[in-house]
Amino acid sequence: MVRKVLLATLALALFPVAVAAAGDSPQEARHDLMEDVGGAAKTIGKMLKEEAPFDAAQAMEALQVWADAAEPFGTLFPEGSETGYDTEARSTIWTDRAGFEEALAAFKEKADAAVAANPQTLAELQPAAGPVFKTCKACHESYRVDD
Amino acid sequence: MLKKIVILAVLVALAAWLATRPRTIDPSDVPDLAADPVHGEWVFHAGGCASCHGADLSGGHEMTTPFGVFHVPNITPHPQAGIGGWTLAEFANAMLRGVGPDGRHYYPAFPYTAYTRMTWQDLIDLKAWLDTFEPSAHRVARHELPFPWNVRRGIGLWKRLYLNTDWVLAEATTAEVQRGRYLVEALGHCGECHTPRDRFGGLDTAAWLAGAPEPAGEGRAPDITPHAAALGGWSARDIAYYLETGFTPEFDTVGGSMVDVQENLARLTDADRAAIAAYLKAVPPVAP
Repeated sequence: MVRKVLLATLALALFPVAVAAAGDSPQEARHDLMEDVGGAAKTIGKMLKEEAPFDAAQAMEALQVWADAAEPFGTLFPEGSETGYDTEARSTIWTDRAGFEEALAAFKEKADAAVAANPQTLAELQPAAGPVFKTCKACHESYRVDD
Repeated sequence: MLKKIVILAVLVALAAWLATRPRTIDPSDVPDLAADPVHGEWVFHAGGCASCHGADLSGGHEMTTPFGVFHVPNITPHPQAGIGGWTLAEFANAMLRGVGPDGRHYYPAFPYTAYTRMTWQDLIDLKAWLDTFEPSAHRVARHELPFPWNVRRGIGLWKRLYLNTDWVLAEATTAEVQRGRYLVEALGHCGECHTPRDRFGGLDTAAWLAGAPEPAGEGRAPDITPHAAALGGWSARDIAYYLETGFTPEFDTVGGSMVDVQENLARLTDADRAAIAAYLKAVPPVAP
């Protein structure tokens, strides 16, 4: 009996954690996806800054994360998800949908090109990844709330 | 008795008039140096002129502050709407002393408290670069300020408290830190946003670069001292890389009003950005 109560209590205590980790809401799902994109940016950025050794396989994996993220990311901003969960999405995403889609398409295009370039050296990674980084910055400027 | 009061009142008024008087540079004190507009372009970017005056310098940007709304002026070489025809001494008085050609004080929303530390050569080169711009006839609205801030003469007193050419970081031991100090404290006027202000709008140099609320009331300009809760975890290389590319060590991107600033600083040299980083590592750490 005591054991059952303990287990039930534990289950209840963990329940909100499990829900949060699942990322059911679009706000959480896009946040998690953006974390992945940011993680890939860090992998590549550290190589470009020469803080990490160049590794072609790791670089390609990170570029692929970028290329794969754009399409699902675009589906995660439905009407009604403008606020909540401390989202940093700016209202301009909904008021200027075409501009947002265009910014996302630019990200996808540059990320696809970077994957196609298949960089095998640090010197090749720079021109492949550089344009993608620019699209990160441009999109954040218009469509993300400033801290 | 009444006579004494009247005399006292006159004396007080006279003292106030003298204390608030604009202090200008005499044209004969302007050194005769050859102007280099190419170097002036560097000064222009380091000084962030376009961030407020606009890429074409025709002005109009609104600056909302706790004191009122400032409309940034047209500084193209247009003779009526801009600053066309200004002498070097007039330009120097605006930049270094905050005084217009008509002898009126400028509001310190224009960061002459920082520019006052700039060299004559940089000032002269900057004017030569500004003179290359297309004149614009764009007329900018007047500032919207309530009493007492609309009394410009009062700025004379304010300047006695806050306008001086002393370095905030008095001890700069290496040439690189000195270079960074010049870029941060003079041209870049970083402290204007990143340092908290006292109730009269003067910079609280005891909390130099420790972060401050955005003047418009949304968000904060962060603490950029080497405090553990500020840039303590950033290497000098991280700072320089951020200023060049706009990416933080976590590879998040620059945001807000810093975007313009970062893009200006991206036009400087690697050595300039490294000097700014060295300076930011040398200032005293202050908790946010």
